[in-house]
Amino acid sequence: MLNADPVIALLSRALDAAALRQTVHATNVANVNTEDYRRLEVIYSAELQRLQAAGPAIDAQEALQWAQAEPEVVESAETTVRLDQEMAQMAENAVRYQALLGAIERTLGMLRTAARDGRE
Amino acid sequence: MGMFGVLDISSAGMDVQQARLEVAASNIANTRTTGTGTAAYRPLAVVVRSAIAEAQGAAGTPYSAAQLPMPVVAEVVETDVAPKLVYDPGHPDADARGMVALPGVDPVTSMLDLISISRGYEANLRAFDITRSLLQRTLDLGKSR
Repeated sequence: MLNADPVIALLSRALDAAALRQTVHATNVANVNTEDYRRLEVIYSAELQRLQAAGPAIDAQEALQWAQAEPEVVESAETTVRLDQEMAQMAENAVRYQALLGAIERTLGMLRTAARDGRE
Repeated sequence: MGMFGVLDISSAGMDVQQARLEVAASNIANTRTTGTGTAAYRPLAVVVRSAIAEAQGAAGTPYSAAQLPMPVVAEVVETDVAPKLVYDPGHPDADARGMVALPGVDPVTSMLDLISISRGYEANLRAFDITRSLLQRTLDLGKSR
């Protein structure tokens, strides 16, 4: 049986992370001329790295455990902002964000179908 | 800050480029402005700062996602570029040797600045657009059927 709750929770967490990435890219672009500004990036805490070392997640519950890792905004090793790179990464992230929205939409669609006894 | 705050940051980025454009235009427009002593026009430059980026302590400490650095035009300063001396003895601002001091505005640098300003503005506008369309799509979630 499909347990949709962890799937939606998981997708929401991923959507939050993509939104944070969009925020950080936009901040970098806005601060391209700011004195002493160091480029920011989103990273995942040590918790996720530990889970990653343990092997791939196999079901939604375990994946949800992975998703508990909080993304953090830190200064990047690459300190200068390069507009072209920033825009390319922003475009890529926007595509990912929209893919996640599509996945949420389809999960909701399945729930909707179930709620209507399979009638469309 | 949520995603709506991103729009503010992109707007601030556009404001900064706008200020840079005004200063660059002023420098170009004043290439023939003369004056003696303190009355002389000196090329201007925009200083952009961000309070949050400066308050950030040691490298490696995470930023708060709710408060990301917002660029602000801190000041417009006169730069210390040496004036260009041109021989023009009939000019009212000429010195004893007949030299007139023109502002040290480099036309090539100014034109390159204009290109960089234009690209910076476009990038912020594009970021604003992308954020807006992502927000719009999120708001449309669950609307089909």
